[in-house]
Amino acid sequence: MTFKVINPGLLTTIQDLGRPGYFHLGIPISGAMDRFALRAANLLVGNDEGAAGLEAVFMGPLLEFEVDAMVAVTGAILPPRVDGEEQPLWTAFPIKAGQSLTFDYLKGGARAYIAISGGIATKPHLGSRSTYPIGSLGGFDGRPLATGDMVPLGEGKTVKAGRTVAEALRRGPGSPAELRVLPGLYWHLITERAGKAFFDDEWKVAPEADRMGVRFRGGQPIEFAPREQPFGAGSDPSNIVDGCYSYGSIQVPGGSEPIVLHRDAVSGGGYFTLGAVVSADMDLIGQLQPHTPTRFVRVTLEEALTARRDRAALLARIREDLS
Amino acid sequence: MSFQNDSLDPTEEDHPLESVTLRPLGDSAFTIDLAGDMGEEATRRVAQATTLLRTAAESGHIPGLVEVVRALRSVTVHYDPLATRRAVIEASVTEVLAKGAEDVDGVERQWLLPACYDPALAPDLEEAARTLDLSPDEVVARHVGRVFRVHMIGFLPGFPFMGDLPEGLRLPRRAEPRTRVPAGSIAIADRMTAIYPWESPGGWTLIGSCPVPLFSAAWERPALLTAADRVRFEPVSASEVKALAGDYAAGRRDPHDLVEARS
Repeated sequence: MTFKVINPGLLTTIQDLGRPGYFHLGIPISGAMDRFALRAANLLVGNDEGAAGLEAVFMGPLLEFEVDAMVAVTGAILPPRVDGEEQPLWTAFPIKAGQSLTFDYLKGGARAYIAISGGIATKPHLGSRSTYPIGSLGGFDGRPLATGDMVPLGEGKTVKAGRTVAEALRRGPGSPAELRVLPGLYWHLITERAGKAFFDDEWKVAPEADRMGVRFRGGQPIEFAPREQPFGAGSDPSNIVDGCYSYGSIQVPGGSEPIVLHRDAVSGGGYFTLGAVVSADMDLIGQLQPHTPTRFVRVTLEEALTARRDRAALLARIREDLS
Repeated sequence: MSFQNDSLDPTEEDHPLESVTLRPLGDSAFTIDLAGDMGEEATRRVAQATTLLRTAAESGHIPGLVEVVRALRSVTVHYDPLATRRAVIEASVTEVLAKGAEDVDGVERQWLLPACYDPALAPDLEEAARTLDLSPDEVVARHVGRVFRVHMIGFLPGFPFMGDLPEGLRLPRRAEPRTRVPAGSIAIADRMTAIYPWESPGGWTLIGSCPVPLFSAAWERPALLTAADRVRFEPVSASEVKALAGDYAAGRRDPHDLVEARS
C-alpha cells in the first residue's frame, strides 16, 4: 500500500489540516496553505476532509503507484496524467498499480493538492502528519518528499471515478488578487497617510514566498508616527517589545515590505503587526504566484466573519454534492 | 476594557488584571496587553493571566477558545470565530481575568546549560565586545555570571526569550538579519538572550553555542524550557561542546538532567 517517489518536483510536502494548540511552544499549525483545495480533493476520493495529501509547489512530482487507488488534484492548475493520459482537475480519477502519475506545466495558481484514496499514512507528530521541516515534524521523516521515498497509504473507501466539483464551486486566484485586511494591534504606530497608502497602493508578490510567510513589494514605504521607543524594543521604529503573531498577521520589517505570515508562521517576535489578512483569504494566498499584482482591502470584523461563513457554506455545498 | 486601535502604547504603569486592554489581531485572535514593558513584573502578570485563561478554558468556561499564547508583556488568545462571537469571548476572558487574583505558584526549575564561547562558534563576539567597549572575556564573564529568567517561548519551536542582560551587554538587533543562524547559537539582543534551537534566519548577535537540544517531538513536553524557568550558563571548551552534542544526538545524555535546582 505505497507509492514511490521517482521525482519529488520542486517542493512537495505531506500536509493535512495541521496541528493546532502548540503555538505557545513556537510550533505553528502548518497544514495545507490552501485548506479549501485539500478538503475538496479529499472529499472527491472519499477520504476524511482532514486526511493527509500532497502539496506540490509550482511543479508536480512523478509518482509510481504500487496499489490501485483513486486520485484527485485541486488548487493550482497543474494538469495530471496517468501513464501519459491527461486527467481532469477537481475530479476523481483511477490509477492502477504499476502506473505513473505525472503533471504538466503549471498553468495557474501556485500549489496543487493531490489526494489519494486512503490518505497518506506516515507517522503523525503531535496529532498531525503535516510537514514542518524546521522542527523535523510530520512529513516523510520530518522533511519534504525525496526521490526513492516509499510513501505509505491507508485503507481507502470505494468511490466512483468521475466525481467532480462543479466549476462554479471551484476557487482559484484572480488577478489582481484582493486580500481583505483587518487593521489592528499596532495600526496606531503608522501615520494616517501611510495607512491610506497601504490600501491604495498596488503591491506585487515577491519571489520570497514560502509556507512561513509571503512578502509583498512595490508600495510606498510605511511612515511611522513619531513616538519614543519603549525600552526593550529595538531602535528601528518597526520594532516592538516582542509580542505574539498570528496566522495572517502582517509585519513590515524596516517599514518597507509587508510580510503576511502563513501556516508555518513564527509565533512571535519584535516586529510590529499592522493588522491581519482575514482567515477566509488565507487559502488564496497559497495560490499566489510571484509578481501577482495584489491589493489589500480594508474590511470590518463583521465583513471578515461573513466571508468566513461564505467559505464554510461553499464547502458545505461541495460536501453535499459529493455525499 | 476597550479595543484601542489608535491610542499609543497602553498604560506605562502596572495595572490590575481587571483593567486590561484588548487589541484585535485579525478575525480569530486578539492580544491582551498586561504591562507597559517587559521584565519580572510583566512575566509574573503574563504567567498569572495565562494560567487563569487556560484553566478556565479547560473547564469549559471560555467556549471557542483555541489557544492562549504568551509573550513578554501580553498574551494572545486564538479562538474559532464560527464557534463564538468576539464580544462574547472578550467578555468571558475579561471576567476570568478580573476574578482570579491569586498568584501562580508553579515549580520553578533552574537549568545549568553548557555554553561554548570559543571564537569559532561565536561569530559576533569580538565585534560585540568592541562595540560594548569590553574584552571578549569580559562579555563572556558577564553572560556566565547571571541567572536568566525565561520570559517566553516562541518565534521558533522551543526558542527561549530570556532576560535580563546586564546593562553593559545590551546591543540593538542587527540592521541586516542573517539568513542563516546555526542551530545552537547563543545570541543577545537588547535586554534579552536566547538559544536558537534550529538553523533559521535571525537578527540577534551571536556570542556562543549551546550543544543541548531544546526541542523534541518525542518528549512529553516537546520544548525543554518553559516560561518562568531560570537558566545559567557554564562555559565549556570547543572540544567538549562537540562531544556533548554527539552524546545528546546519540541519546547517551538526557537534557532533562540539566536541572540543577527546583523551587
